[in-house]
Amino acid sequence: MTLSALDPGAVQLPPEAVQLRQEVRDFLDTERAAGTVLGRPDSWLTGWDPAFTRRLARRGWVGMALPPEYGGGGRSNLERYVVIEELLAAGAPVSAHWVADRQAGPSILRHGTEAQRSHFLPRIAAGACFFSIGMSEQESGSDLASVRTRAERTASGWRLTGTKMWTGGAHVNDHAIVLARTDDSEDRHAGLSQFIVDLRDPHVRVEPIRLLSGEHTFNYCHLEGVELTDEALLGRPGDGWRQVTGELALERSGPERFLSTLPLLSALVGQLQRTGGCSPEQQARVGRLTARLSSIRQLSLGVAAALAAGRPADVQAALVKDLGTRFEGELVNEVREILPIAARFDATRGSYPELLATAILHAPGYTLRGGTNEILRGIITRGLELSR
Amino acid sequence: MSIESRAESAAEPRSEHAAEALPPLDTAPTALVALAREAGYRGTPAPLAETLLVARPLLAAAGLAVPDGQLTVAAGPLDVRFTHVDTDSRVGPSGAAGTDDALRVSGTLHRVPWARAVEAAVVLTEGPGGGPVLFLLEATEWRQLAGTNLAGEPRDDLVLLDVAVPAERVRRVPAALVREAAWRSGLARAALIAGAARRCVELTVDHTAARVQFGRPLSHFQAVKQEEAKLVEEAALVAAAVEAAASALSEPDSAEFTAWLAAAQAAASVAEITRIAHQLHGAIGFTELSPLRLATTRMWSWRDEDGGERAWQQRIGRHVLDGGSGGLWQQVTGG
Ligand SMILES: Cc1cc2nc3c(=O)[nH]c(=O)nc-3n(C[C@H](O)[C@H](O)[C@H](O)COP(=O)(O)OP(=O)(O)OC[C@H]3O[C@@H](n4cnc5c(N)ncnc54)[C@H](O)[C@@H]3O)c2cc1C
Repeated sequence: MTLSALDPGAVQLPPEAVQLRQEVRDFLDTERAAGTVLGRPDSWLTGWDPAFTRRLARRGWVGMALPPEYGGGGRSNLERYVVIEELLAAGAPVSAHWVADRQAGPSILRHGTEAQRSHFLPRIAAGACFFSIGMSEQESGSDLASVRTRAERTASGWRLTGTKMWTGGAHVNDHAIVLARTDDSEDRHAGLSQFIVDLRDPHVRVEPIRLLSGEHTFNYCHLEGVELTDEALLGRPGDGWRQVTGELALERSGPERFLSTLPLLSALVGQLQRTGGCSPEQQARVGRLTARLSSIRQLSLGVAAALAAGRPADVQAALVKDLGTRFEGELVNEVREILPIAARFDATRGSYPELLATAILHAPGYTLRGGTNEILRGIITRGLELSR
Repeated sequence: MSIESRAESAAEPRSEHAAEALPPLDTAPTALVALAREAGYRGTPAPLAETLLVARPLLAAAGLAVPDGQLTVAAGPLDVRFTHVDTDSRVGPSGAAGTDDALRVSGTLHRVPWARAVEAAVVLTEGPGGGPVLFLLEATEWRQLAGTNLAGEPRDDLVLLDVAVPAERVRRVPAALVREAAWRSGLARAALIAGAARRCVELTVDHTAARVQFGRPLSHFQAVKQEEAKLVEEAALVAAAVEAAASALSEPDSAEFTAWLAAAQAAASVAEITRIAHQLHGAIGFTELSPLRLATTRMWSWRDEDGGERAWQQRIGRHVLDGGSGGLWQQVTGG
């Protein structure tokens, strides 16, 4: 049996990455001084700041791995990795462009028509076009292939009807890539297709669903007979499932799957250092988290390198996401025990009790979003069976 | 079954000879770590990891010739005097100054890995004038009290009765080398654990595929799959940490910290890896009938040798806390 998933091997970042990392850190220092980078946990979900996104884009750090002919930076995926891990570690407000940069851009590049590419990609890279993911529905969570949203053929294209749920950012973004049924064929996976939907269309109705913290990032996204031209179809009809699966590999493997709560740990370290005199117990617990964090990061880099080299990495990505998101939650609990100060959502924004409160209230989401950990473990064991 | 014969059976799954040719001294560090992992995977009954990753590099760093064959490493307080005492010296008590580095050594070195199987041991201790010394002891120079770890691997006490060590086998070394000996031992142990973890995964995956209960192989049950995936993940985590430390070995700036991380993560992961592997093996894994014990008992031993996860975690934590809030991320990314 080969267990390649077990052993992606160490990755050496290219020398350009060291220079790039420093540039990002300098940029973040300036932004921090201006009060725009607040070291918040889960900033890629809730840190919505289009102006920050545009400043990043001006540096070439949005859509940076897209080809230059479409306005991208033409940089490597490993360079992109360095930039996004720096942004996440700093808790920078990156949620506006997150899905466009991570998922929609690469997906349109791979499956889109020439017209779609030249329309969307330069806008994404400029930080001027934001995307939502329209996959889940009320009855279709883990069992995504059961989606009921339908796209029916019309004379001029398609008509879309159904309700997507948990659509992050649908109330503030420009477009959603929607997974819909186009054919009731026997094989549930065969009749699905993807569409690029304008969220400002009058037949799209967005209804908020609030998080435990009261924040508004989630929505119902009611598609009430949205008329689409053929130009809205992404990829080929019936290829939706294959395309979505490819997208999920991008969605699952990134550093946002283990860095969501790192800003909290950094805040704790800062707090402990200011008060001085750490107990050996506190030191050891910080050390334990650091060792686990950096080991998970090594695995994640391995996936990034595999994807950059065009090797399939679905199983590894699932593995990193399960380990990483469990770590995110565990970190919150550990931090709470290392420095027991009651979490308070109403404390001064950015203070340790407030950051802790945010992280606790967000914690149930870490192991759900992007596919639950139970489902991911199924992917891992299926990978084991296939490798036998 | 006696402890001795368990040590013999340690040769499974594939019998390996201790005297097998060692790789040349100039072998790439990553290749050496790979060999140590392989030794951990196979349960090779020899101090291969100690020889390749600790003893030989220490001897080379101290400027001593590296003898052929397997070596072991020991550190600890001993009673050390100069053989050729400088009688005119007024520094310290009698025997604290000498005319050359020839030493006379007495005392006991505890739980030295595989001492009974090697020709020589690299010893690190406090020299007679203060400051660390490193010297090479030959097997004929010590008396051995046999001991073993949980897995039945030799961990012998070496009794030294006024042993004369000639000056050409002694070097005064900087304190940094003592630290290096510690982190190299941690990395060696982590590499062994990574190998044994892989063995646990393979044995478990094979077992759950072959074992039928309720009319289906165990591997078809959701609950089994969930645990098995966690086992694979934890083993992958250790492998990643060890690989990162292996590639950092040639970078003086980051080698030590990444070795700490690997040592800490490997030791900390042992509990989860062995828990799941044993649980999924059912009762058979709890007996000597299954080869699983050859991996798990070793991992339980190795995690506590060279200090244990708590000591590594504390070292990492102190370092991180010294660096402040920005320091954590900087340490993790290597600058
Ligand atoms: C913060 C957050 C952001 C999100 N953003 C988006 C978004 O932008 N766009 C979008 O489309 N979706 C989004 N989602 C939805 C997300 O993808 C789904 O929540 C997820 O796929 C799980 O579906 P569900 O919530 O319906 O749970 P269910 O599928 O009902 O599962 C409930 C529980 O049962 C377990 N379970 C289900 N089936 C199995 C099985 N076969 N074996 C073992 N266990 C099983 C699950 O693991 C889970 O623990 C988001 C979710 C969160 C929490």
